[in-house]
Amino acid sequence: MTSRLPPRGNVTTSYAHSEKKRDGSTVPATSPSVRARVRGAERSSMAPLRPLSRLPGLNSANVLLVESEEQFQQRLADRLVEETTFTVNVRLAKSLPLPVENEESRPRIDLVVFIINLTSELSLQSAEASVKCLDHRYFLGKVSFMVTNARNVAAPGERLDAVRKLAASLHCALLFAEDQTPDGVTNATERLLTILKVAAGLVPMTTALYLSNLTRGTALRDIDQPSFD
Amino acid sequence: MAATLSLTGPPDLDLSSASDLSVSSRSSNRSLRVAEKERKKKKAEDPFVLALKYFSDVEAGTPVNGNDEVERNMVLVEKLAYSKGLSPEAISIMLEFAMSLRMGTSLCARVLKCLIPATLVPQEAVVRAVVWLSVGKIPVSTQILFIKWVLTVFDMIDAKDQLRAVYGFIFNFVTEENLCPFICHLLYLLTRKESVRVFRVRKLLELQSRLGRQPFLLSLLSLYKVFCPEMVMLSIPSRIKSGFRNHNMPWKSALIAVQKGAGPHVAAGISPASTTIKTNPRKRKRCHLELPVMTSVVSKEAQTEPSSCGKVVPLVQLHSFAQLLENMHRIELPAQMGSLLGSSLALQYLDCVQDESALLRLNFWLGYALHEEFLFCGDRGASQNSQEALPFLDRLLSTQHFLQEGFSCSEAFLYKFLNVWDGSLLRPQILGLLSNIPVVPSAQIRQLLFEPLMQLFFTSSLFFKCGLMECLNNMLLKWLTWHSVYALEDDLDISLNSHTSINMTLSGFKDSVMELVDFVGRLASLGLQLEGCHSLLLSFVLDFYETVCDMFMKYGLPLVVMPPPGVFYPALFATDPVSVDRLAYIMHRYKVNFTSAKSQEELTKQAFHISRQMVREFNHYIIVMVNCLWNSKMFQLDMGLSLGEDLLLKSKVPQYWASFDLVHHPAFMSYAVDFHHRQNENKMVPASKRYTSNQCATS
Repeated sequence: MTSRLPPRGNVTTSYAHSEKKRDGSTVPATSPSVRARVRGAERSSMAPLRPLSRLPGLNSANVLLVESEEQFQQRLADRLVEETTFTVNVRLAKSLPLPVENEESRPRIDLVVFIINLTSELSLQSAEASVKCLDHRYFLGKVSFMVTNARNVAAPGERLDAVRKLAASLHCALLFAEDQTPDGVTNATERLLTILKVAAGLVPMTTALYLSNLTRGTALRDIDQPSFD
Repeated sequence: MAATLSLTGPPDLDLSSASDLSVSSRSSNRSLRVAEKERKKKKAEDPFVLALKYFSDVEAGTPVNGNDEVERNMVLVEKLAYSKGLSPEAISIMLEFAMSLRMGTSLCARVLKCLIPATLVPQEAVVRAVVWLSVGKIPVSTQILFIKWVLTVFDMIDAKDQLRAVYGFIFNFVTEENLCPFICHLLYLLTRKESVRVFRVRKLLELQSRLGRQPFLLSLLSLYKVFCPEMVMLSIPSRIKSGFRNHNMPWKSALIAVQKGAGPHVAAGISPASTTIKTNPRKRKRCHLELPVMTSVVSKEAQTEPSSCGKVVPLVQLHSFAQLLENMHRIELPAQMGSLLGSSLALQYLDCVQDESALLRLNFWLGYALHEEFLFCGDRGASQNSQEALPFLDRLLSTQHFLQEGFSCSEAFLYKFLNVWDGSLLRPQILGLLSNIPVVPSAQIRQLLFEPLMQLFFTSSLFFKCGLMECLNNMLLKWLTWHSVYALEDDLDISLNSHTSINMTLSGFKDSVMELVDFVGRLASLGLQLEGCHSLLLSFVLDFYETVCDMFMKYGLPLVVMPPPGVFYPALFATDPVSVDRLAYIMHRYKVNFTSAKSQEELTKQAFHISRQMVREFNHYIIVMVNCLWNSKMFQLDMGLSLGEDLLLKSKVPQYWASFDLVHHPAFMSYAVDFHHRQNENKMVPASKRYTSNQCATS
């Protein structure tokens, strides 16, 4: 009854099979030469990221971590590539849209994770702007938000509410992470892998849309004082 | 009072004593004085002592701008304050200096900001400062700063009786709008039953009509109401939004630094008979998360006098249960309610007496501590956080375990914490606290509890899923136990939180339990599917259903709920024999519960209302189980999944209808192998003793 993923055959170091690549965040050039390289007639230079434009890899998954501060994503990526039951390829970006130059070499992205630091307003604004550059088909369970510093006193309550509203309206999972301790990073990695496995189709009988229905929240959170009168 | 208290150190003594002594005795004391002078000279050379002397002696009206000496001495004092904290005498001198505005208002705020105590704050200094406050020349922002400082160091003030004596004095400040929130907070900490007077209540109500239903006014009024309910006619919501805010920002980090530097203080667990640890007050340096040591309200000097009024015994003096019983009627609770959490005697007293004001204060302190540490923490290192946090939470857990119920403030805290939890921070403690929350009304349970738990459950690892299952199982057990005791007591609510308890009817309780069982059923079915029917998760799920199946027999709750198909079928077709066996046991218990419920219904003619749907489901499950395991007639009944015969034939499994009976079931493979081993052994036995083997088809 239990289904097991086939173990990775002849494994060398994690970096040999899994890779980390940095996608730059420069504004894509609109020069004619770039546009000519792009396949498809009406592809604009600000092409949104599409989930099904490529074939999937065997026993592997690709995740894109988007964080405007570029701090937490590095540590997460280091832990993510250590996964052994399947190959994890991590791509890092500061914001979307991704530059068109890399579009040829870019594999199919199974999961896009927006990392938001609640103590900085810029982080939230950058995430909100990047969200608009994703193809709508990603929002069927292939996008999730990860929030750090939620318990910090410096983070105003309105910002957390805004993130909650954003995640709820887009039907995305909202994860909280403790980025200060190594244990917290390990836990965040595990949670990301749980979602990534489903998004990449590696869990039988479960699709990303199915999981997103289970994990999505509502925006209303009036729990400041439950009144039992 | 002000004149006779000697606050300053040796330098003053020198000047005054010389003039007091008469001529005749001067010569006899000469040698003594010479020795004294030597010692004092050495001490007086210490720059800090010199600085203190300066501040105690400086004349009023000395200019501040351009005064290098003042600047130098201020810097010295500040340096010491931030490194090791100020001694009680230094605090007295500096506070007196600041609040008397001897050198103008500019220095006052600066001094207040650096008043970090090392050990204690003498209460006389605070009382004198309050007197200065009323003189009226201090600017409002500085007044606010002073009150905030008093609130921050409140736990370090050595005794509170003098402060309580000037309660009325402090109360008068409540009319100033700027000071009102802070004064209300201070009054909340100082109020006792004697302080509640009708004119004070009237004044607060008048303020409320002017300022609106402010949370600080409501909190203070609710405390008054708890002490003297007949005086406060207002209806106050049982939980007040946000209560008092935290005021210790300018001093917090410095306080922590000083206390850390002083060395960690070992906290003891709950001791069976004795009260908390008796420590030397000099060595008592506590981390801000640690439970305070229990002290009595009255200061040590006054204790030696026989107290003629009331003969009140402070709790700290009791050491055994016998003593507690003797003095039950005249026990005085300590000023710092948090210290009760460390002592089992105190908890027993609290549970028995049900003093509402004490509970209110305890909840207030506990809620404050929990919020400070886990919800609104700053950027401190997380390892430091968990070192203090773990013992604190463990202590809270053992207290709740001792009292067999939770506190309302920890419940409120948990709901907020679950919304920002990552699932692994302090997981065992948080899950333990979660299992202690009281019954949640079914209208709110989804939003408060189920939603955040669902989000965590489906994105976390297998171990979190198992941990949460166990936590929800414990929660259900506790609710059922509470119900069975509550039902026996005939409407007497015996819980600790009786003044904020929900009036729960039997049907309301049944609704909540139904919601919880349904929720766990959903989590279990989906979790098993996502984890591929992992046997560890299955075992925790079956634990839960072992509790559920006996709800009627063991706990007297007239409710029977069947497990969903997503739990039943994975257990029936599991690959380990233990799961199948436990499922069979659970089915057996369901049958016992159903039959006894039916017989009781016939006996008492009471409408039990076992849902027909449940009985049908049970019958269906039993038929499937027996067909599968015993009759070798699998797939002949609708199992929720219909497989056509041609498809089954295509699978080329020989005799597919018998593929899950007792002989062929994959879970019992080990028993089959064992049987064959024994058969082989028996073949070695001589013919006369050969077994006649049973009718077991061996394939």
